[in-house]
Amino acid sequence: MMNSDFDRRDFLKVLGWGGASVALAGCGNGMVENGKETVVSYVETNDYMIPSISVYFNSTCAQCDAGCSITGRIREGRVLKLEGNPESAINRGKTCGLGQAGVQNHYNPDRVRSPLLRTGDSGEAITWEKAYALIGEKMHGVSGDEVAFLTGGMSGHLKVLLGNYLDSIGCKNHVVYEAIAPAVVRAANKKSYGVEMPRININRAKVVLSFGADFLGAWVSPVHFSQQYAQFRKGVDGQRGVLVQIESKMTITGANADRWLVVRPGTEGILAFGIINALGTQGLKLSADIAAAVKAYDKERVSKDTGVSAEQIDKIAALLKARTPSLVLAGGAAEGYAHGSQNAAAINLLNHVLGNVGKTIEAAAVVPFPQMEPATGNTAALKKLNDDLAAGKYKVLFSYAANPVFTAPGAMKFKENMAKAGFKVVFAQYLDETALQADLVLPLNSPLEDWGTQVPEYMAEGAQINILQPLMEKLHPETSGMGDILLALIKQRRAEDYKKFDDYYSYLRTALLQNKVALGGAGNADDDVFWNETLSRGIIKLPGATHAALSGKSAVAGLSLPAPASIDAQYPLQLIPSVNASLRDGRNTNQPWLQESPDPMTTIVWDSWMEIHPSKAAELGISEGDIVEVAGKNGSVKVQAYLFSGIHPDAISIPLGRGHEALGRYAKGYGVNPFQILDVVFDKETGELALHETRVKISKTGERVIVVKDEGPVGGRQMGQKIAPKLPSDKVNLSGEI
Amino acid sequence: MSISTLFENYSEYRHIHPVDDVPHNPYKWAMAIDLDACSGCNACSVACYAENNLPVVGREKFAHGQAMHWMRIERYWDEDGREFPDQGARFLPMMCQQCEAAPCETVCPVGATNHTPDGINSQIYNRCIGSRYCSANCPYKVRYFNWWDYPTTDNVWPAEMNQQLNPDVTVRGKGVMEKCTFCIQRVTVAKNDAKTQGRLVRDGEVQTACQQACPTSAITFGNLVDPNSTVHRKWQAQQVELDKDEQTKDMAEGGSELRGYRIYEQLRPFPSVMYMERVRESAI
Amino acid sequence: MKDIREDIAWAQINKDVLKSLENPRKLYWVILFIAIAMVGVAVGCEVYQYNVGLGVGNFDNPHVWGLYIATFIFWIGMSHSGTLLSAILHLMHADWRKPIYRFAEAMTTFSLMTAGLFVAVHLGRVWQIYFALPYPNMRQVWPNFQSPLLWDAMAIFTYLSSSILFLYVGMIPDLAICRDNMHPGWRKKLYTAIALGWEGTDRQWRNFRITYLTIACFLIPLAVSVHSIVASDFAMSQQPGWHITSFPPYFVAGALYSGCAAIITLFIILRYVFKFEEYMTMSILKKIVRLTFAISMVWTYLNLVEYATVWYGHDEAAKHLLIQKATGTYAPFWWTMNFCGSVVPFIMFFKRFQTHIPVMFSVSLLLNLGMWLERWMIVSPTFADGYYPWTWDHDQWPSFVQWGIVFGSFGWFTMLFMIFCKIFPSVSMYEVKEMVYHRSQATKKLQATGKLAATGKGAH
Repeated sequence: MMNSDFDRRDFLKVLGWGGASVALAGCGNGMVENGKETVVSYVETNDYMIPSISVYFNSTCAQCDAGCSITGRIREGRVLKLEGNPESAINRGKTCGLGQAGVQNHYNPDRVRSPLLRTGDSGEAITWEKAYALIGEKMHGVSGDEVAFLTGGMSGHLKVLLGNYLDSIGCKNHVVYEAIAPAVVRAANKKSYGVEMPRININRAKVVLSFGADFLGAWVSPVHFSQQYAQFRKGVDGQRGVLVQIESKMTITGANADRWLVVRPGTEGILAFGIINALGTQGLKLSADIAAAVKAYDKERVSKDTGVSAEQIDKIAALLKARTPSLVLAGGAAEGYAHGSQNAAAINLLNHVLGNVGKTIEAAAVVPFPQMEPATGNTAALKKLNDDLAAGKYKVLFSYAANPVFTAPGAMKFKENMAKAGFKVVFAQYLDETALQADLVLPLNSPLEDWGTQVPEYMAEGAQINILQPLMEKLHPETSGMGDILLALIKQRRAEDYKKFDDYYSYLRTALLQNKVALGGAGNADDDVFWNETLSRGIIKLPGATHAALSGKSAVAGLSLPAPASIDAQYPLQLIPSVNASLRDGRNTNQPWLQESPDPMTTIVWDSWMEIHPSKAAELGISEGDIVEVAGKNGSVKVQAYLFSGIHPDAISIPLGRGHEALGRYAKGYGVNPFQILDVVFDKETGELALHETRVKISKTGERVIVVKDEGPVGGRQMGQKIAPKLPSDKVNLSGEI
Repeated sequence: MSISTLFENYSEYRHIHPVDDVPHNPYKWAMAIDLDACSGCNACSVACYAENNLPVVGREKFAHGQAMHWMRIERYWDEDGREFPDQGARFLPMMCQQCEAAPCETVCPVGATNHTPDGINSQIYNRCIGSRYCSANCPYKVRYFNWWDYPTTDNVWPAEMNQQLNPDVTVRGKGVMEKCTFCIQRVTVAKNDAKTQGRLVRDGEVQTACQQACPTSAITFGNLVDPNSTVHRKWQAQQVELDKDEQTKDMAEGGSELRGYRIYEQLRPFPSVMYMERVRESAI
Repeated sequence: MKDIREDIAWAQINKDVLKSLENPRKLYWVILFIAIAMVGVAVGCEVYQYNVGLGVGNFDNPHVWGLYIATFIFWIGMSHSGTLLSAILHLMHADWRKPIYRFAEAMTTFSLMTAGLFVAVHLGRVWQIYFALPYPNMRQVWPNFQSPLLWDAMAIFTYLSSSILFLYVGMIPDLAICRDNMHPGWRKKLYTAIALGWEGTDRQWRNFRITYLTIACFLIPLAVSVHSIVASDFAMSQQPGWHITSFPPYFVAGALYSGCAAIITLFIILRYVFKFEEYMTMSILKKIVRLTFAISMVWTYLNLVEYATVWYGHDEAAKHLLIQKATGTYAPFWWTMNFCGSVVPFIMFFKRFQTHIPVMFSVSLLLNLGMWLERWMIVSPTFADGYYPWTWDHDQWPSFVQWGIVFGSFGWFTMLFMIFCKIFPSVSMYEVKEMVYHRSQATKKLQATGKLAATGKGAH
């Protein structure tokens, strides 16, 4: 619902000095009685602000890294709601629940409001001048090797600026750490297809075979994939797409599958080989090396190893053979093992065998500015940082957009090692677990009040650069944008080079205008016109961006799959830390809408739980609401049990994202944090933390609680009524549908 | 209405919908929800919280069944005793079905809930005295009562968070009933815009918050009276008629091959939301 | 069996009854004190609930009704026996009712007043309760005349005002007696004012009789309708367990049942507290007990009819609900309700228990427990197992606030009742005199014809 009356002139006014000093009356930020706010009469108001009329600004959602474009609804100077920006090829006007909650990140009452300096156990509010002076002082005489800069995934000009800053101090230790990222799949894709993140066309596939890729939930770019999925269900050439999901714990994608197959944890690759073998048996031409590689994987053996019946393997093979093109995806559940890379490679091989490469898997568009491309990371990088910290290598540690104290496996002892760094600066919106360990906490603007550019890792169609712009005045006067902070820091070193940039906004504007033509602007366009149009769209589409061709080969050399792990007598169960679509790695847990938004599978809210298969639960005498102790080699958590049939009987699952000891009132003290008990096992090829490799045992504590969930006492039963019926595809006529 | 009209022609003020004598014109808002597209992701529900100032009640109150989610996603399993849910789950977004002959409307002692000429089951918060009879009589149990005074409850809308409240939607105090309104504030804006321009609301001009967010576009909302609207065409394609308590297609021998159905049609509330059944591939 | 002496002097009747206005037994004060304390509990709970919200009662969505509505029906039901005794039996010329109808009538009034309070207690926004009244207003906003709840409000209001009128009119001759016999003081002034100058002239008696009879005739259909309308609250809805055609007679039978049981309880208490042994005789008790037994059988029949229609009907939801009542969370209460309502009354079948005061006292309390549970079992299980399985809720349990207010309502009723009995004659003096006179006339007649042995067995 873009307000069409809104014109560029208004934009100019907002952005020309909107970022600077216009006091927005009616914000309610301060009490008029206190005299803290300038009262601006509505009789003579700024002409871009009409009481009761909403205006809409485009920006980019920063709740996850998918890079959905958003349109904020702003009324009387306050952002009220975020909608998808229909112009973006990524989300096409749609949003997920996580994105909707972006406003709660912005208005969150637990945000840090001023720079805090540690004095003993408490924090003392200080001024920015003092904070910068302190950083300058601490950095004085410190060599670049003694500084580490830890960040989450980042891209765009912020990454450029950070790079420049690290250059200026001679530091090469930019550690990018994403707690939950498809790092193994990226590496496997690089091998199989030549690119880390190819473009996936679910909407063109007739069959999607997904090995634990939760593309409707939390995998890579879920809003984009959800739209593709909807098209896929509507039909490709009039044939409704078929989704087969193979995983050990049902994800929301699995819940939407036509056939969901439970597989013994870690044997996804074996099953992929089994399917290739079955395809060969059914007459699909396999190249000699592949045929040789899968020769041993006849369906009986595979069935025995994976727990998937031979008949089912044949059915899948038949379906894949009959309906082309198809698409095979490897996701988090397949990669979370010590042989995760092998699993992913074996699964990717299926796409080569089925001839999907180039059809449903294509080269993605690339942004022709490599310096702006997203820096992705994994736990391997964190491990090195952790080791270096333990060795006392760093005098200064910066941390931005990462919370390793919460997300690193407890056995890595990151918290203790972090303490060994001389001076720790954390840029944070909240006092999260990592910020609590800092010596200096610098408060950040929320993404809804900040400037920036973002390059999504997954490019939907053409390449695009997303624009972040403030949707309203800063809520708290003492917060600052990360870009502004970096600019200030860099000025400590190279004042001369950066003196013409008053702030990050001017830096950004200059940077974009410099490259106007490459960014799609007409060569003779007025700077202001180009700038305003760019902001108005919220997206820079790069028309000339080249598509790199997929180069990977279906090499099977070096691909060897281990036999399924035998059951550990002491720790007989496999812990699957599940990724909830809205809470993910826990950075958004303090947004109450997300806490109260029921988990789609269990409908549980506000708490953690352990999923266990009813047959296993019966064996152990566990019923719903029993508090069980889940103990692994590295510690234990106590958590309520939920009986869930969508999980392998030899596995249990605890969702990530809850169990905060800090962060804020809506997060602290709710649930448990399974990161803390993970076994520290890494994927052999990429060094990524193998999230699913943890073995645990469980025991009842004797305590019981009532599980707080939305479903009633009869659970997901309809009691013989026609509430949510389903039809088999051969009994339905979809031809006349609108 | 005076006392005399009350006794003389009260029925003119009280139609039993759907009616033939005074059909909805020019608007009848309705929905179609494709359950084969719905992935159960909850985006609609969160969007509803954002748009309609729904309070987050917190763990304790949620445990007591006092959640205020106007839009709730229900998750059903196959009930044939299989060991694993190998055909997935079924998700159902459930909100007020905006019944034409709404059981809630007739029982409200003060007429706080009633039918608008657009076919929306409206709720007048100011008029509600909190007898909760409407909820007691709702077959879908989609009405939510303010058991507490959420605006003054700690951590529901603490400072700053309250700035997000949508000024177009009332913040409800304790003791009133509330429910999905089909985002009537958006409908009203669109109607007013259309009126000032001397036209009718165009199809797609107004979206509900849930529809706008839905990543799989499973929700269609629009004017059922307009023969060109998507929602009308969907209802027509599925052969679901608003004023039937049993659809002709379902009475045919062997049932229907169409997916459209309405929940509890047999109770004769004539709901305005048509669902389209989830499909499962039979070849796999 | 001992009955009221036929040769008792009229002055003696006056003296005995008026004595109840002066010095009851100590137990009176104990009961009054306990009742006031109970009211205190309820007031505390209500103030808390009013300020914080109904959530403190531990309701939820969709379990939106609870003990308040159940207890509301209970008190409405309680009110029926007064009308039964005073109006129906009056028309039927059952003269044994005469010593006890006054307090039964008072019971009607006070239980209605208690029930009325529950309407207010139940509302989410009680401060807007006047919205439910059809008062003329400029905005022409009317209540919804389709709503059974509105019929309810009207029926109760009509019934309450008629009952008060009936109680008052029936008291006028007695008030005059009080006026004439009291020592000067505030009470004498009160009686003087409200006796409306009654002097017992022929003309006054004639007008009085006609008025009394008219109101009695008016009240009977009201009594039947008021509980039928309360039944409509449920029967007119569309929910399983509620949408049952037989509900109105079932409710009326239940109402008479619990009312009669309550009369037995109060009969026993009043008899002791106000030393009315002379007037509230065992013979009367026996008659009420027999009446109660008969009504209990009617209720049992209608109850079984309800089960049978559900069982043999084709409404799966209603059938499921019935099974849930018998086997689910509410099963203990449901079985207790059936036991108390249909099995316990058989004790009243035995002659030797019919006048056994401790047994009858316990039985009457058990019957009312059963009848209260019946109301609860009508209201709550439908929420726990309604149509929509997703929202079924088997764990909802009323909080102390709900229980406190229900508990206090018994105190409120007792308090009003006890205060009434202390201020107004709870035995109708003039009707007892009539009864004694008629009986002695009849005895004389019989003795004259030699048909009656001189044992003085009571008429009827």
